[in-house]
Amino acid sequence: MAASVRHLLKPWTPSLCLMRWSRYNPYYLDPDPSKDARVPESELSPEEKELQELKTVSPIKAALSSDTSSAFNDPLISKFINMMMHDGNKILARGIMTQTLETIKRKQVEKYHKSPAAKREEIECNPYTVFHQALENCKPIIGLASVQKGGKSYQVPVPLTDNRRRFLAMKWLITECRDNKHRRTHMYEKLSQELLAAFTNEGNVVKRKHDLHKMAEANRAYAHYRWW
Amino acid sequence: NLHTGQYYTLPAAHIQKLFPHGLPPRFQLQIKTFNEGCVMVRPPALELISYLKKADYSKPPLRYILYGDVGTGKTMCLSHALHYCYTQGWLIVHISDAHLWVKNCKELLPSSSRPSRFDQPIQASQWLKNFKITNERFLSKVQLGYVWTKRERTEKGQPLGELVDQGVNRMKSSSDVVGAVLRELRLQAGGATEGEGAFKLAVAVDGLNALWGKTSLKKEDRTMCEPEELTLIHNVRKMMKNNWSGGAILTALSQTGSLFKPQSAYLPSELLGEEGFDNMEPFVPVSVSNYNEKEFESCYLYYLDRNWLQHSHSRSEEGKKELIFLSNKNPSILERLCAFL
Repeated sequence: MAASVRHLLKPWTPSLCLMRWSRYNPYYLDPDPSKDARVPESELSPEEKELQELKTVSPIKAALSSDTSSAFNDPLISKFINMMMHDGNKILARGIMTQTLETIKRKQVEKYHKSPAAKREEIECNPYTVFHQALENCKPIIGLASVQKGGKSYQVPVPLTDNRRRFLAMKWLITECRDNKHRRTHMYEKLSQELLAAFTNEGNVVKRKHDLHKMAEANRAYAHYRWW
Repeated sequence: NLHTGQYYTLPAAHIQKLFPHGLPPRFQLQIKTFNEGCVMVRPPALELISYLKKADYSKPPLRYILYGDVGTGKTMCLSHALHYCYTQGWLIVHISDAHLWVKNCKELLPSSSRPSRFDQPIQASQWLKNFKITNERFLSKVQLGYVWTKRERTEKGQPLGELVDQGVNRMKSSSDVVGAVLRELRLQAGGATEGEGAFKLAVAVDGLNALWGKTSLKKEDRTMCEPEELTLIHNVRKMMKNNWSGGAILTALSQTGSLFKPQSAYLPSELLGEEGFDNMEPFVPVSVSNYNEKEFESCYLYYLDRNWLQHSHSRSEEGKKELIFLSNKNPSILERLCAFL
């Protein structure tokens, strides 16, 4: 009885400390897992020299377990995997991503081997470049924000930050594949079809981006309602 | 031994005829993608082919068992040796995966001819169709020697093709047809006269441990089925005995499809069990292992040549070292890794 009462007196501290989710002090630096060769002192500009000094002195946040030091690690692909992840099932999300890349590569390499030598150079077989290019083609340039003025809310065209654009492109891709495709196809098949279509500026996601641009163009008159 | 590590192209017509069902699914995808089917020549396959060249075919057949860890290339070596037999004009009896016959069976009928036996009409007719595609030129040559009296009639002297057709068309008796076909081939393989009638028989079974393991099929009173009670398995076991002559038995073990065996088991004694080992003794064991340096180099260059390794880092020296580290030079793991890189 004394033992059970005793634990009420001491302050509760969590037994597991999750480093990546705790709030870091702002002076903590982000980890950089890549194996870059150290550039000699003379070639660095003064800001970069300062950065290097900081890195030797200040503390660094804990690295995520999904980041590797090998050059195969791609931050864009990691971000996409995180967005696809459901209930924390990273293994499944990563599996779907690798299957998607494989399917894209298979389709392109098959086309490559079956086409005559003249057309071979135009076919892009690298699934990573296809993914990056498709994502670029899906990013909207301008977005709409809802602004209330005089009791009525207007859709005002607004510039978007880089992060927001990237987020919107990925979100549209994933929701498009989850909702608007045939029920019995696998996610990786749906994703590979959408990515290959977006690579050539066709497909539903690019259409959605164009629709957003048209809406923004139509609502040009309200642009002055933006005060930021 | 000069040719180890080099890639041997299987002609497309041969692949269609010989392996309608025989190749692993990932290899079939690879054939479709690269527009060609290439197998790496490896020491176990060369060893098998040299034994086949030197064997004496008037004596009972030698039994070769390919064994090794998961993903080292047993099925591919078996297919390579089987292709050699096909080019030499042998009659091929190829069971691509015996594990498919002891699990996930939708229809299990009690046998019409024998009590306490169970038939699998779908699997049997599927196998007969594949057998027909592979051995088309033999179907008219091989003559039935005696009457096969079951409920349906087949007269003496009918060619084998008709028997196979009957098995494909009538699903109910297809398992018995399989048994009859195998018995016919056994009797005729060595005993036929020289000239047109003579042929050599190659029996190839992948997933040999399914014949003596446990099944996951249940009878109608919800008790487990023994492999003995399935007609297909029973007939294949009879083929495995060396009481005939004029051919060879090539087999490979497989842990990936096996039921109730731990993942670390890969030796014949572990996978076949006591009963299987006693039945298969004496056999010639052929061990299959991971790639060595030269074979890995060859595989890497093949992927580069076929434009398969796309990631820029994988084409560098460090990337290659990473691939060696991640895959431990295991053929199947390397293939899966390179698929998305």
